Amino acid sequence: MRNVIRLVWFDLKQELRPPIWIIMEWVTFTIQLGIYGALMSQLVTGISNYQQFYAIGFVVMMTFDIGAHTGRHFVEHAHEGRLPYLLSLPISRSKLFLSIALQGGTELALMLSVPLAISLVLIGNLSAISVAAAIATLFCLGFGVAGVMLGLSFIAFKSADLYTAITVGLSSIIVRFSTVLYPFIFLPPNYAVAAFLSPLTYGADLVRFFLGFDPSILLNPTYAAAVLTALAVGTLGLGMFLLQRLVEGVKSA
Amino acid sequence: MTELLRILQLARKDFSYFFRTKWLMAILLSLNLSDMLVVALVYGKLMDFNYFRFFVPAVVIMGLFVASLDTGRRIWLAIREGMIHYYLSLPISTEGIVAAYLLAGGLAAMVYSSSLLLIALVVLPAHAVWSTFVLLPFLFVLATGLAGIAATLAALASTHGEFFFAYQQIVQVVLLTLSTVFYPIDVVRLYLPPFLVKIVSLNPLSLAAEAMRQYTFAGAPVEPWSLIMLLLTSIPLAIIGALAYLTALHSIQVKGKL
Repeated sequence: MRNVIRLVWFDLKQELRPPIWIIMEWVTFTIQLGIYGALMSQLVTGISNYQQFYAIGFVVMMTFDIGAHTGRHFVEHAHEGRLPYLLSLPISRSKLFLSIALQGGTELALMLSVPLAISLVLIGNLSAISVAAAIATLFCLGFGVAGVMLGLSFIAFKSADLYTAITVGLSSIIVRFSTVLYPFIFLPPNYAVAAFLSPLTYGADLVRFFLGFDPSILLNPTYAAAVLTALAVGTLGLGMFLLQRLVEGVKSA
Repeated sequence: MTELLRILQLARKDFSYFFRTKWLMAILLSLNLSDMLVVALVYGKLMDFNYFRFFVPAVVIMGLFVASLDTGRRIWLAIREGMIHYYLSLPISTEGIVAAYLLAGGLAAMVYSSSLLLIALVVLPAHAVWSTFVLLPFLFVLATGLAGIAATLAALASTHGEFFFAYQQIVQVVLLTLSTVFYPIDVVRLYLPPFLVKIVSLNPLSLAAEAMRQYTFAGAPVEPWSLIMLLLTSIPLAIIGALAYLTALHSIQVKGKL
């Protein structure tokens, strides 16, 4: 386990010295919620308190971005030749994969701490269980998204540029065609079909359900929980499998 | 004449680099088109007024803004990867290099936002398309000014990539949220303190978005004063950017680094 922690710290310290991105994410969230969220809340009449709805949506967007960044970061490093170094370390493949997941999880926890705390204070009147369930949902979504990016890694081994173009282009589409910014019932039918395919729809609605939003504007929570679990387990498994096949050419022990 | 020709050659090189960056095109197009065709439409269903008509013209200005800001990334890359030393060895003055970058940044942003405008004209009926031709030179000055902001950020960040992208993100968020790109000025007046309302009103993005809405799409007669205001708020940005980049280039010439 010490080796895993050392490897996590090896990557993480570059993000923390100085922790400019973490601070930037917090500042961005505060401005977006305090100005954009508040002003849009004056315009939106379809939901009772749009600022609260937007706060959770923004936290889910951040989770998605961090998860995507973790997956992309690993693939880009692999393409740049850092992976052979990692593979030569006296550490098993499963521990290497665990270190990547832990690094992503720690980054997610650091970046979300302040925005989530502000959102929870804004919503208020919450129980410890609902907060814990919301945090667990966010981590499940983060791991799922990182897995999707690893799953798409086969493109990177053909063209890193194309991989970046596809993943970042896909990211903004996934956000827009989801319930991050607006409830599902307001989506036109042809957009609703695409929203059903977006993992953010399930993540955002499940977190909102745990935090006490009106269930009539959310998707069925059981269905959302099942989809998110399947996504996290399925894509991380697929990512591991694809990486081992593509990077090393053979299955590892 | 030779200097002008070299500036244009360098500008052409930088201009084509912008459109050849596949991942950048993927980000910009997916962001702006989904804002126009998804976000504007769905928000419209959540509000009592026609948000689609309000937001679609503003997306064109957002595209102009984001494309202009990419000038900073190209300058930062040139500094980090040492390409700047090659540029400084060319038979062109440092002022010429600065002019070429700002010109390329402004032009790339204009071409990119014009493509968004064409799409906007397809999805939203415009009452005075010809007004756009009056707006175009002013939008070009705005794009050059925004490219100037980006050049300043690149010069400030030097070779530290994380700082450059962080500065760029904060400038982007502040300028967009403190503008009337997303919400009408009446709502801003109701919620924000007077000094912030003043900033929002004088933000060149607010002026450009309002001009696009009123003159091209609503068909209102073009008011010269609003266009002069757009110039007055954009030109200082271009000058500050040019000076910052020029100072950075002089520093590289003298010390070999920033």
